[in-house]
Amino acid sequence: MSNDDNSSPHSQISSHVFENLLDSLVVDVASECHRIIRLGLDRGLEEEDEELRLSAQARTRVADPINSGETNGRHVVDIFGQTHPAIANEIFDCMNCGRSIMAGRFAPHLEKCMGKGRKARPKSTRSSSTQNRHSRSSPASIHASYSSRTTNGTVDEYANGSFEDS
Amino acid sequence: MSKRNLTYTNPEPCSHLAEYKQNHSSRGYNSLQPSLKTNPNGRTTIKTSQSQIPRCGSCSADEGRLYFCLICSSIHCPDHAILHSQVGHAIAVDVDRAELFCCVCNDQVYDPDFDNAVMHKQMKLKKNPQNGKLETPDKKRRRKVAILERETEATEGVSCFPWGLRGLNNLGSTCFMNSVLQAMLHTPPLRNYFLNDRHNREICQRRRRIGRRRGPPEMSCLACDVDAVFLAAFSGDRTPYSPARFLHSWWQHAANLASYEQQDAHEFFISMLDRIHEKEQSTLQPKVVGGDCHCVAHRVFSGVLRSDVTCTVCGFTSTTYDPCVDISLDLDPRNIASTLTGCLDLFTRPEKLGPDQKLHCEHCGLRQDSLKQMSIKRLPSVLCFHVKRFEHSSARRTSKKVDQYLQFPFSLDMTPYLSSSVIRNRFGNRIFAFEGDDACKAPSEFEVFAVVTHTGKLESGHYVTYVRLRNEWYKCDDAWVTRVSEAAVRASQGYLMYYVQKMLYCRGGEEMNCMATSPRHCCL
Repeated sequence: MSNDDNSSPHSQISSHVFENLLDSLVVDVASECHRIIRLGLDRGLEEEDEELRLSAQARTRVADPINSGETNGRHVVDIFGQTHPAIANEIFDCMNCGRSIMAGRFAPHLEKCMGKGRKARPKSTRSSSTQNRHSRSSPASIHASYSSRTTNGTVDEYANGSFEDS
Repeated sequence: MSKRNLTYTNPEPCSHLAEYKQNHSSRGYNSLQPSLKTNPNGRTTIKTSQSQIPRCGSCSADEGRLYFCLICSSIHCPDHAILHSQVGHAIAVDVDRAELFCCVCNDQVYDPDFDNAVMHKQMKLKKNPQNGKLETPDKKRRRKVAILERETEATEGVSCFPWGLRGLNNLGSTCFMNSVLQAMLHTPPLRNYFLNDRHNREICQRRRRIGRRRGPPEMSCLACDVDAVFLAAFSGDRTPYSPARFLHSWWQHAANLASYEQQDAHEFFISMLDRIHEKEQSTLQPKVVGGDCHCVAHRVFSGVLRSDVTCTVCGFTSTTYDPCVDISLDLDPRNIASTLTGCLDLFTRPEKLGPDQKLHCEHCGLRQDSLKQMSIKRLPSVLCFHVKRFEHSSARRTSKKVDQYLQFPFSLDMTPYLSSSVIRNRFGNRIFAFEGDDACKAPSEFEVFAVVTHTGKLESGHYVTYVRLRNEWYKCDDAWVTRVSEAAVRASQGYLMYYVQKMLYCRGGEEMNCMATSPRHCCL
């Protein structure tokens, strides 16, 4: 409490008001917490603390997981006792064109084989058209719309549009 | 499981409260009702007079705590309330907070009948439209899944390695796909669905051949290709599998995502669920309008979110429900809440809508400032948390990745984020049976079983999945499957975290070390 003779009545009053407000807020929090604890609504706190402790402990043990270990694991033997080359070398036939492709290069092959961004056709198109791109749209082309959703999982109609050469 | 988790502990009344109840029962509460006033934020106070502020009857103090005597309706400051209690009037109500107070024990006390009276007053005034259109019973669905779980509790055979553990070859920047596939392979309800041949490829192919009259070339069914991947993974063959056919099939369905470049794993996950839903839906019995979708994708992953928008002036609340297959969480920019539960707290916190987002309040008849609050109406069997680590700024046409560590628990209790909890909290945690209160029925304990991580930069990063089998953790890095410590997973930078309902986790044949974190957890 300020008993300072030099403080003006105004600042005394405002300190007083402030203190009352602060008191009221503190009691608000105390009252809410009191209710939560008395009614047993705070169960789970112990488990939460344990999880936090385990995570903190884990982080000190594992040094810099972001940059280490992620690609190092590729030079070791897996749990089945196998080793693998950096680029998968299994060979199989492309289901679009029938050619023999190496696994690790299958995706780039398939992209060209199916025509990047085009709807699939039974035969390979080997299209060299560079104008159909799924990202940057030109006003003349129509895109098959795929709506991506985050938290709202409502299903939209999958519009079967076709790409047009612009 | 402790029943205490689901309901309040009814606290023992002190002797003074007990005596008061014996003599007056709920009369005092009911006569207080007209003086109860609730503001739009859900806070209740006592207002006895329209024109005067409350003052202590003995000293006229009008600041700090004031107590309203339930027997004689006099108001006292804390000091004089103690004196007043000596004449036998022990029970009072805190004027600012509408909480019972025993002036002899000098402590806040609780009585369900009092909370009841408070809530009834609130309910009378508010017009709360409850859109119960998605209240279809899902007990039947859960029972079915439980049956599947029991059926697959069969022994895992002679292999000393966990069932279904197999590397996936990277086909050229397809780790985004491999990582999600690994998580799906070990999602208990999904795994059981496909391994129990619930999606029969022959029948599906036959149906498609018959339906293919319109002319467009027959597209494969993505669910059939998912089935093939499951078969390959659980075949017992441990050499890495190339999901080439699956990739081809997916690109046929998601034309605009068909490109040889690193994609977003979350986008792929959503896309995959959509394609499965599409194909399954056309073969299912016509579903009831407005009812739940029964395709496997939705049965496993779909939950319901509730959104409440409250007028800050009159308190009128408008509620909507939306289905969701995952929960996308923003990382706390202040870096304070760098835990999953912290993000969930932020997710369910009331948010002030900006001045440009004023909503039309039906009650007031005009646009008012509003508060929006999200909560989870119904939890799915499998929860997917998507941590928004990739920020796309359309203005600057740049994207950046946020590497902030996010702590996540292995055992997660979702109760605080359920609509029942959030709404109860909004009304001051009163002891009251809220409408639609299904906290007792909804299992809300979850166990993590797969974590998809992203390391490196946005454009040149790498996805890896950690899966939990038989309470051991395995790192699935494309073709390389290795065992890792629990600590490695805890310290990892999660991007997609998959949790399954604890009941399904226990029954799915995974022997869980129940004493791992707390003696309170137990398997039924």
